[in-house]
Amino acid sequence: MIILKNLTKMYRGTKAVDNLNLRIPEGTIFGFIGPNGAGKTTTIRMMTGVLRPTSGSIFIDGLDMAKEPSQVKRIIGFIPDRPFLYEKLSGTEFLRFKAGLYGLGSNGLDNEINELFELFELSEWADELIESYSHGMKQRLIIASAFIHKPKVIIVDEPMVALDPRGAKLVKDLLRESARKGSTVFMSTHTLTLAQEVCDQIAIVDRGRIIASGTPRDLEKQAGVTGDLERVFLTITGGWREREYV
Amino acid sequence: MFKLLITPRFVGFRNRLRRSEGAKRAKIVTLAVTGILFWFVLFFLVYRVLTYFASQEMFGDILARHLLDMVLLIFFSLLIFSHIITALSNLFLSQDLELYHASPATLTEVFLSRSLYTVIDSSWMLLVFGLPVMMAYGVVYHASLHYYLSLIYTFIPLMIIAAGLGVLVIMSLVRYFPAKRARDIVLFLSLVLIVTLYLVFRFLRPERLVNPDSFVSIAQYLGALKAPDSPYLPSHWATDLLWTRLTQYPESQILNHLLLWSTALAMVVLNIWTAGRIYFKGFSKAQEAKRRTRTGKRILEKMVSVLTRPLGADTASLIAKDVRTFFRDNSQWSQLLLLGALVVVYLYNFSVLPLERSPIKSVYLQNALSFLNIGLAGFVISALSARFIFPAISSEGNAIWIILSSPLSARRLLWSKYFAYLVPMLVLAELLIIYTNYLLKVTPFMMVLSSVTIFFLVFGIVALGVGLGAVYPNFKHENIAQVATSFGGMIYMITSSVFIAVVIVLEAGPVYTILAAQFRGDAITQLQWLWIVSSFIAVVILLAVAVRKPMAAGLRSLRSYEG
Repeated sequence: MIILKNLTKMYRGTKAVDNLNLRIPEGTIFGFIGPNGAGKTTTIRMMTGVLRPTSGSIFIDGLDMAKEPSQVKRIIGFIPDRPFLYEKLSGTEFLRFKAGLYGLGSNGLDNEINELFELFELSEWADELIESYSHGMKQRLIIASAFIHKPKVIIVDEPMVALDPRGAKLVKDLLRESARKGSTVFMSTHTLTLAQEVCDQIAIVDRGRIIASGTPRDLEKQAGVTGDLERVFLTITGGWREREYV
Repeated sequence: MFKLLITPRFVGFRNRLRRSEGAKRAKIVTLAVTGILFWFVLFFLVYRVLTYFASQEMFGDILARHLLDMVLLIFFSLLIFSHIITALSNLFLSQDLELYHASPATLTEVFLSRSLYTVIDSSWMLLVFGLPVMMAYGVVYHASLHYYLSLIYTFIPLMIIAAGLGVLVIMSLVRYFPAKRARDIVLFLSLVLIVTLYLVFRFLRPERLVNPDSFVSIAQYLGALKAPDSPYLPSHWATDLLWTRLTQYPESQILNHLLLWSTALAMVVLNIWTAGRIYFKGFSKAQEAKRRTRTGKRILEKMVSVLTRPLGADTASLIAKDVRTFFRDNSQWSQLLLLGALVVVYLYNFSVLPLERSPIKSVYLQNALSFLNIGLAGFVISALSARFIFPAISSEGNAIWIILSSPLSARRLLWSKYFAYLVPMLVLAELLIIYTNYLLKVTPFMMVLSSVTIFFLVFGIVALGVGLGAVYPNFKHENIAQVATSFGGMIYMITSSVFIAVVIVLEAGPVYTILAAQFRGDAITQLQWLWIVSSFIAVVILLAVAVRKPMAAGLRSLRSYEG
């Protein structure tokens, strides 16, 4: 369960996130979509404890991020949009490091790591330095590392960046399977087909505020259009003007 | 098109100046003031040296000319190295190069615009370090306006020649090695060269040159004065030119002018011609991925793993990661060579101290030196900390999100870094102090006092490094060495030096009183005891503050980090 209460973030007098309220039940895949600069990444950075909110609260699995950050972070698996890693570590060393940070013991860790490498088709590269990985391979490694401690909540910022179709399919299946087992997935994306395909609930955010939310069907009703999510999104965010210009 | 290609750098610089406000503006002002102060200090030092030379009837001019020759040779060599390093980045590795090469600009235009960036990046140093030296020469020799003008038309071709050589070297290197490997090679070679030059220079003991009495004969002295000079070196042509202007000696310098300018122009032509043939091949090669490198567990990693096990899985993982990344990054571990050179020269200086020839009673001198040695060793540790400990937090780089989103608290992160660096620094500091005290043959009292003082000083120096490093983090650096020379690095060096100085000052008086009483056989009065005890209590309080305050400030800064 994820609860955001009156979440606000100010940057030099500008509200990047403006009084955001959300309640996401367990086992849900929640899509967070919006135009560039809408405040999606800022929200995610606050939810993962990387950034402090100006005001408001974040509760993950009943725990307050402001009061018990370490406990909250222990149950989150975070996948950022840019694959910044320690280039001088090998893939295996990175996963061991990540396991260490989350306090996992060495019992069964080798098996766990091998399974993840196999799942993400990185076994051949496990002992190579990360600096020799391609962009897509780094993204696969980051996603693998987010699952090493079996998180209850998975927070994903643009999951499909740099992934090939096989990788994209794998991630979709993994997110669905995690939700089926009871994990909550919070996913920010620009890939509207992905959101439509996997999300149980979607919120559209613009200028730091939620301007529409609900199931994909609810959003269609709110926008007064039927069809794909792109039409719904463009109607709600006013993007048709640009489309007409083109 | 060329003008357009060089616009981003200048517009970016202008915007940085115009749009800086608050803390950023204060930073620029502080840097400017420090630069100007440094400029004047350098001017004053050279002025003093030259005035002293001028007072030496027979050798004054020879020494001054010799110094000018050496200075220009060093500048010229440094300029070539500086161009090699910045050309690699400006011509092959910068992230905006793709945009340049994808544009309709010709290869020559791209090459020339990036070379101009290289000249600017590499040559500002000449302005900061060179100008005060040249001005001091002008003032001491009452030079005419012609001398100051000749500085401009001498330095421009010298700069172009150095740039040309540097760019040629790097283009040739990158033609055969991938750019990132070439960077490692260049870094390593330049470091070995600097260390060798430093050691050779130190062991030659240049201070003897200003003391002709230490030579057996005039011939030997003049022999020692001969610098490694050659009439084929551009720096030699520049020295000839400037010296004639300084001394207003009526000798034609047309040949030297022609040599400088024709070589500079030839360099430009040669570079454009070479770039046309190999620059794009090298740039294309630079885009290729790094070669695959297999890794294995080494002895050091196993040792670290055993030693850190009791600290908990998270801290142990962090320290193991730091050790691995440090020793796999050539630009990091190779700096240990500098550390080695610094320590060797430090110890060597103590071994050649002529204590027996001093007019001051040797026992006094030995103990006084041992006391000063605490400060010097503290300063060496500070300098090392500025390079290795101050950037410890910034070394997480763009991957900082991994730590910030993990359950590892900011407090644990800071203290893990602290203890990881404290242990090696303690060992190094104690080795330095004990060995130099052994060379000085100090009293047991001074041996104990200096070992204990440096032991606790290191706690403060490391805390200042880690703490201030967290107050001034730079996670977006392209090269970790930039962090040490940043504004925050400067603040660290100043704070750390003041801290060491205050501890020394607080201890100096009481120690002198105790030593004087010992040698004279006097008793220490009650009032003196009170003073001694309160001074040492003040030292303890200062040490506690030096550990607590910067770590607390670092913790606050990390917790409120906004990316």
